[in-house]
Amino acid sequence: MFMNALLSGLTLGGVYALVAMGLTIQYGVSRSLNLGYGEFLIGAAFAVYVLFGALGISPYLLALVVVPVAFGLSWLIYRVMLTPILRRARTPVALEIDSLLLTFGLLFAMMGIMLLVFGSNYTSYTYLSVPVRILDATVALNRLVSFGAAVVVGALAFAFLMRTRTGMALRAVAVDPVGAQLVGIDVKWAAGLAFAIGGAIAALGGVLISTYMTFTAEMGVVFTMKALIVVIMAGVGHVVGALLVGLALGLIEAFVAAYLDPGLTVAVIYAVFLLALIVRPVGIFGRAVR
Amino acid sequence: MLEVSNLSVSYGRHLALSDVALSVGQGEIVVVLGANGAGKSTFIKALAGLVTPAPGARILLGGQSLERLPAHQIVEAGLALVPEGRHLFSTLTVAENLSLGAFLPRTRAQASDSLERVFAVFPKLRQRLSQIAGTMSGGEQQMVAIGRAMMTDPQLLLLDEPSLGLSPLLTTELFRALPNIAATGTSVLMVEQNSHQSLSISDRGYLLEDGRITGEGAASDLLQSEAVQKAYLGM
Ligand SMILES: Nc1ncnc2c1ncn2[C@@H]1O[C@H](COP(=O)(O)OP(=O)(O)O)[C@@H](O)[C@H]1O
Ligand SMILES: [Mg+2]
Repeated sequence: MFMNALLSGLTLGGVYALVAMGLTIQYGVSRSLNLGYGEFLIGAAFAVYVLFGALGISPYLLALVVVPVAFGLSWLIYRVMLTPILRRARTPVALEIDSLLLTFGLLFAMMGIMLLVFGSNYTSYTYLSVPVRILDATVALNRLVSFGAAVVVGALAFAFLMRTRTGMALRAVAVDPVGAQLVGIDVKWAAGLAFAIGGAIAALGGVLISTYMTFTAEMGVVFTMKALIVVIMAGVGHVVGALLVGLALGLIEAFVAAYLDPGLTVAVIYAVFLLALIVRPVGIFGRAVR
Repeated sequence: MLEVSNLSVSYGRHLALSDVALSVGQGEIVVVLGANGAGKSTFIKALAGLVTPAPGARILLGGQSLERLPAHQIVEAGLALVPEGRHLFSTLTVAENLSLGAFLPRTRAQASDSLERVFAVFPKLRQRLSQIAGTMSGGEQQMVAIGRAMMTDPQLLLLDEPSLGLSPLLTTELFRALPNIAATGTSVLMVEQNSHQSLSISDRGYLLEDGRITGEGAASDLLQSEAVQKAYLGM
């Protein structure tokens, strides 16, 4: 049982880590918390479900279409919906409240469309559902492949942030938007790019999770909350922290489900979250980014 | 090289800057003296594109109009600001801060030359490259902030109260460094409060009161003037 829980925790945690990384990039750079983040994840899951059913193409290959679409859509949403309030907002707090309201609306719009098209039933499909034995445990191949994809993309995104000029510009905006402008970085461009990268990563997470989990049109908010918990626990904008805490979250979920009760996972996660907030209000990796 | 005229800025109904005109020549050091709340930061932010000037303002840098450009394009045009509060990338290293200074393609090509120029002015920074900028003392952070601005390879360097929060010793050190920067052809325009030292290293000075320029002259003349001594030099 221990090995089983460990494997399912690691595989799920890997995807959580990736999804949380996307949100921390989005929120950390653009300062707009996207409450519709999880809807991108679920939207991608449904898109893959439909395309896989119609064309029979591997979900992992379909990601090559779904992820760029999510990138473009997120960018468009940022430019059309969020840049106008950037101009309007007089203070960072006003900006945050305005963007919360807007993305709250986005959440309901996207969820509404998905409910209309797919109803509120649990949806799933079967792909690479082959048991693989590792030591004395079994794990489905789709979980392993999804985990591998999450690790590779997470590493690539991390290298992009740390090693490229564009990545460094995004980090600079996350740390100090005024300072960034003063070295010639177009902050609006950077925020739009970060928003798009986050949306793309959420969509990839949706594709990966859909290969082994059932999902519904109303489930986006669960993923938003989990990603947000990870982001806040790690410290907003802290990418390495989001990866580690995301992995830990998957493990906690798996072990609680295996040893206590699957119904308790959410409660335990919130308890851990609360504890972390009380002990370290600026996040475990403890630097106040703002 | 910098020609400013008709520069006014309002915050809502409050007119913080009114009809300011000023010029800075190539390689010149110019100081604008004003009391707390006189509009110094507003003036310097308007030049850098961080606040929007009222219509009719003219800001020419080497013949190029800046008054309508967003902040990041003003940097591209050759104007660099060391702002109030510095706005360093506090969680990044000194090396990363300086390297980000050369973010633009125009400045990237010159990055290694610019870096040598920064080290020539602030030799201490060479040993501190791997330190996290936010963990440095105020004076050291000011050096990094000026260094970062120098990395943008500016024609004109703007400094908002560079001596604010520094010890007298560090202030002296800082003001000694500025003529070295100007000697490389970069003009310097700073705003200061009660600084005898800022006038002593400047070529010319302006007096700013309640958002208006109320006097100007050669720095040596201003240092002698009784009115200036009373109002700005605390004598
Ligand atoms: N963002 C702002 N909103 C409203 N009023 C402001 C703002 N910034 C500055 N002011 C006002 O404009 C005047 C000039 O401020 P400032 O340029 O910061 O002066 P200084 O830098 O000389 O101390 C002050 O009266 C100040 O209260
Ligand atoms: Mg000021």
